[in-house]
Amino acid sequence: MLEVGPLTIHAGVGTDASVLVREVSFTMPGSGITALIGPSGCGKTSVLKWLAGLRSKGLRAEGQVLLDGAPLRRPCRALCYQPQGDALFPWLTIAENAALGLEVAGMSRRRAIAQVTPLFAPFGLAGCEAQFPVQLSGGMRQRAAFLRTVAREGRYVLLDEPFSALDAVTRLRMQDWLLARLHERPCGVLLVTHDLHEAARLADRILVMAADPGRIIAEIVVPTPQDQRDEAGMAPLRETLKSLLLEEHPR
Amino acid sequence: MLPRVLTPLMPFAALLAGWEGYCTVSGVSPLILPPPSGVMRALVLNRVEIGQHALASLRVAVLGFSLSVGFAFATSVALHFAPRAERSLMPLLVASQTVPLVALAPLMILWFGFGLLPKVLLVVLVTFLPMLMSLLSGYRQTPQAFTDLLVAMGAGRWMVFRRATLSSARASFLAGLRISATYAVVATIFAEYAGARAGLGIYILAAKNSFRADLVLAAVLVSTALTLALLGLLRLADRLSARGPGARDDA
Repeated sequence: MLEVGPLTIHAGVGTDASVLVREVSFTMPGSGITALIGPSGCGKTSVLKWLAGLRSKGLRAEGQVLLDGAPLRRPCRALCYQPQGDALFPWLTIAENAALGLEVAGMSRRRAIAQVTPLFAPFGLAGCEAQFPVQLSGGMRQRAAFLRTVAREGRYVLLDEPFSALDAVTRLRMQDWLLARLHERPCGVLLVTHDLHEAARLADRILVMAADPGRIIAEIVVPTPQDQRDEAGMAPLRETLKSLLLEEHPR
Repeated sequence: MLPRVLTPLMPFAALLAGWEGYCTVSGVSPLILPPPSGVMRALVLNRVEIGQHALASLRVAVLGFSLSVGFAFATSVALHFAPRAERSLMPLLVASQTVPLVALAPLMILWFGFGLLPKVLLVVLVTFLPMLMSLLSGYRQTPQAFTDLLVAMGAGRWMVFRRATLSSARASFLAGLRISATYAVVATIFAEYAGARAGLGIYILAAKNSFRADLVLAAVLVSTALTLALLGLLRLADRLSARGPGARDDA
């Protein structure tokens, strides 16, 4: 169990300081998807980056993270972060990209590549090992990025709008694919998204954030199993989410 | 294929034809403006002497350029890790580029004699800043997502620099190399012009004093060839070191 908070993030210093995120607290079980949704600027990405152990310039954060009750120093191997977009290094092959996390952890490149190579087939990337990111489609690049993330074998995965750059069809395919991979290799996922459809389709639990300052205004558990969710059936949930967001931000 | 080769040659051919035609039709004295055929004849007849001077210039240019690359790289790394030093040193470095070569070259000869040192120092002085600026600018172009990814993986500052920043600066560095390579030969000739025992600069000075415009232009032609050869070497280095399709910068 991962316990986060209470997290407060200040932006700026001195008299110009403002509160970007105020006392955000939540817990994450060891498996399943927790979606973090909210309007632009509410601090979703800042929360995710702080959780990943990243210090953003001009931001000051206070809060703590407990893993199984013990304080967690970050960055750490237990939390695997995937930034917005795929962030694949264009000068590395897909195999080298996938092995990057293991290499950073101290493994030799050859051993790291040998360790990630068996994952290529289940990730639908067999034969792509020696290719470069620019040679792959958007969906394949996302799969490669996710392979790189899970290859580190962390207990939690932090995804920052992983499918936002994809076209609608590829996005739907990638969402199905993500669910299948998580079914095979369960881990706790924190998914930052602004897409209500995506949140309603994937998440077991949805944390709704409001802005000015960023805070969690609702936590909604989605009891319907993912394989039984359809557009019409999830419409009431989307409406609830929409009204929550609009109530807080009536223009 | 043929048009690709011919396209850049056609303006040259047109220029030479126009020049040759003007010399023939106008009856201008070859002492004032020798025709291209006269320049070529002078080059062939004096090929051994010009070749020896060209080799001396090439040695200075390559040595100065190589030292400059190493010095610029080391300085860029130091300034990257010490941004305060960059802010305080940059005005001095920029000021060093504003010193007129025509004033500095004779002083260098006065201080360091007629040997290799003053000429190499002058080449370093002229070529150093474009490379340093291009490296620092390239470092700043590192996508934030790459840095975030590595930091979240547990990478330290040096590893982030080695794995993401350096590679991100490649295109910018190659652009700086191209600019500096063109300056290297010009700076060498300038340094030799101020005083040297051998080199195209001193050859041009001697030819000018003998009213041999054909030899001056023949030496200029050779210096152009040297610059093009340097640029060709850079293109080769780019091709050999490029990783992935589209990575080449066509230096």
